[in-house]
Amino acid sequence: MNQVALIWVLAEKDLKVEYRSPQAFLNTVFFALLILVIFNFAFDPGSQATREATPGILWVALLFPGIIQLNRSFQAEREEGTLYGLILSPTDRGVLFLGKFIANWAFLVVVDFLVLGAFVIFYDFNFSVQMLWVAWIIILASVGFTAVGTVFAAMLSSIRTREVLLPILLFPIIIPIILAAVNGTQEILILEEAQFLDRWLQLLIAFDVIFVAAGFLLFDYVVAD
Amino acid sequence: MSDPSNSLVLLSRVTKIFGLVRAVLDVDLEVCRGDFLAIFGPNGAGKTTLLRMVSGLTQPTSGSIQFESNDDHSGRDRVGYVSHQSFLYNELTGLENLVFYGRLYGIGKARGRAEEMLVKMGLQDARYQRVGTYSRGMKQRLTLARALLHEPDLLLLDEPYTGLDQHGSRIFTEVLKGLKEEGRTVLLITHNLGAGLELCGQIVIQNKGELVFQASRGQVDASDFERLYFQVVEGGRR
Repeated sequence: MNQVALIWVLAEKDLKVEYRSPQAFLNTVFFALLILVIFNFAFDPGSQATREATPGILWVALLFPGIIQLNRSFQAEREEGTLYGLILSPTDRGVLFLGKFIANWAFLVVVDFLVLGAFVIFYDFNFSVQMLWVAWIIILASVGFTAVGTVFAAMLSSIRTREVLLPILLFPIIIPIILAAVNGTQEILILEEAQFLDRWLQLLIAFDVIFVAAGFLLFDYVVAD
Repeated sequence: MSDPSNSLVLLSRVTKIFGLVRAVLDVDLEVCRGDFLAIFGPNGAGKTTLLRMVSGLTQPTSGSIQFESNDDHSGRDRVGYVSHQSFLYNELTGLENLVFYGRLYGIGKARGRAEEMLVKMGLQDARYQRVGTYSRGMKQRLTLARALLHEPDLLLLDEPYTGLDQHGSRIFTEVLKGLKEEGRTVLLITHNLGAGLELCGQIVIQNKGELVFQASRGQVDASDFERLYFQVVEGGRR
């Protein structure tokens, strides 16, 4: 079986597992909606200050639930030792990474789009071309976030304090992604002219390529015992 | 012992150290094709670490593990591994689990092979049930099916009787007897002295990282083995 087909076999397995145990999906979506609701209560929804803060609110609601999902993605692999089953197979470890990365990314994108829909409603935006650009930023940012997160989640999966360590290790690495995502979103939603949107998008694409390539090359060392 | 020219795996002065802990120490062991080797030893003796190194899950700190005609121990497809963890996905059915692993191992007709193994393990009626609903005994048999899917040269069994009741243990032993009759090469770690002796052709006792006793099954009196085992483990090398 060629490598591309193997990647799909691995991703399909994870998506099937998630589909059949939707508790994690529901928990993640609920947590994200809770963040949006709390901020909605905390700030005056009609004020300009709140309006200017909405890009940050959106990305808090997108990133923190993502951490929960990444932690869980390898916790399941450790419980019945399925990660060892994957490592024992002759499948290239980089391919194992890509399969897990694609499944995590697909899961996250679905959650993120639901959160974006709720965000539009709660914060009085419109479902317009603007939101298509925001969706595009979400897709790009989630690639890099998921790539790095998958590597770190695998690395920390056998450690008891992984829920604490994952965000501590992950967030410094993905600062460029957060920077580009928040600023790009701000340009679309708040500013009258999106002067630097192209540059933020290029930054996202560049880091996506770097992080996915690094994950592919380093995963062998991450899972080695 | 089997014909030495039929050697499958050769462990030479294999050592594994974790920090200050010497888990495996200077192990020399030759496994020939067709051997059914039982490894006994107390908890913490290094048996699991030894098996993990043979499987490739863990690398030795020093020494070498060579498969026949393979200079580099990277033949992960030559080994089947059964642990007390099943390596199975509870949300997938028995059939889905085997098809998945079959594809990972590059088996051309993975579904056909999976169906064949399910019949062999007596699990065909449960193939569409999620593994999470299986009993412990059923899971272990499915785990064995998973390990045998790709026709490995060497089957590694790490305490496969863990969690099995008497009935499940008996069924599992019968399955292993079938593998022995097929001429499979097996390394079995078990605390179940009776089952191990019933199955094996060669006996190894490991204690504190070292192999302290090696003999063929014919050299050991089954009725006296428990006494011998405790004498070796408590008294040192024989």
